[in-house]
Amino acid sequence: MRLEKCYFCSSTIHPGHGIQFVRNDCKIFKFCRGKCHKAFKKRKNPRKARWTKAYRKATGKDLAVDPSFEFEKKRNIPIKYNRELWNNTIKAIDRIDKIKLKRQGQHIINRLKEGKKLRKEADVREVDKNIHLIRAPGAKTPVLEKKMVEVIMQDDDEDMEDN
Amino acid sequence: MGCVGRKRNHKGNHPWAKKGKTKRRIKDLDQIHDDMKPEKADKMLKQDVDYEVPGAAQHYCLHCSRYFISNSTLNKHFRSKPHKRRLKDLSIEPYTQEEADRAGGMGSYIAPKPLEVKTQGVKEDMTTDE
Repeated sequence: MRLEKCYFCSSTIHPGHGIQFVRNDCKIFKFCRGKCHKAFKKRKNPRKARWTKAYRKATGKDLAVDPSFEFEKKRNIPIKYNRELWNNTIKAIDRIDKIKLKRQGQHIINRLKEGKKLRKEADVREVDKNIHLIRAPGAKTPVLEKKMVEVIMQDDDEDMEDN
Repeated sequence: MGCVGRKRNHKGNHPWAKKGKTKRRIKDLDQIHDDMKPEKADKMLKQDVDYEVPGAAQHYCLHCSRYFISNSTLNKHFRSKPHKRRLKDLSIEPYTQEEADRAGGMGSYIAPKPLEVKTQGVKEDMTTDE
């Protein structure tokens, strides 16, 4: 029994699932479901379809290069059953999965940090650009500004009295 | 105007439905990458006379895998948008099952490298024809 990867979306194809297409040059393409098969028939590029693993990794959305990916491999040598080895493997799979998940999560967090930084920079730039809406252009210090406001208020009062 | 609403009421009865049929399958990009290898490219560009295909298989566009009836139409095709679009699609390493495996977590993902793809000898064709 071998768990293959889907040609289009790179998900695991379990026994009894999916469909395979043999091209007229004997090349085999395996698909996990109708969605992937249809996309292939429509000649979609897996690197450009946003929902595939190839897209996520090619564009740097997901963690692409890491030693934790080196465990899952196509091994062409059968291994003789050994209870101890079996137990150890199960334990190792559990541990590796946890480490992998943690690293993948960390990669996404690091990726999002960049956006946060850029958003803050953009906000600062916007405030700098439109500062005249908050502070009067002539006023140099907050005290001066306060005085100017008072003078304007007085002028208004005088005008009112004149009227 | 005649009856507008009645036309094409059957599901799947449209010209682009036929495109996906294996009966009408045309070459995939990775097959064209194979054709572009020098020894094979020479063979594809200098085919024997075959009256079954357009232009007796003498005017072939390697990248679009299309036969043209004459050199002038072939040269016109080289200047067209579909051909340029095809060159752009070809200017990266072809997608393989191995890449899908790597993307799925079997080994680290290796990003595809860009390739330089140029239209087959245009100048030569022009001189021989005209």
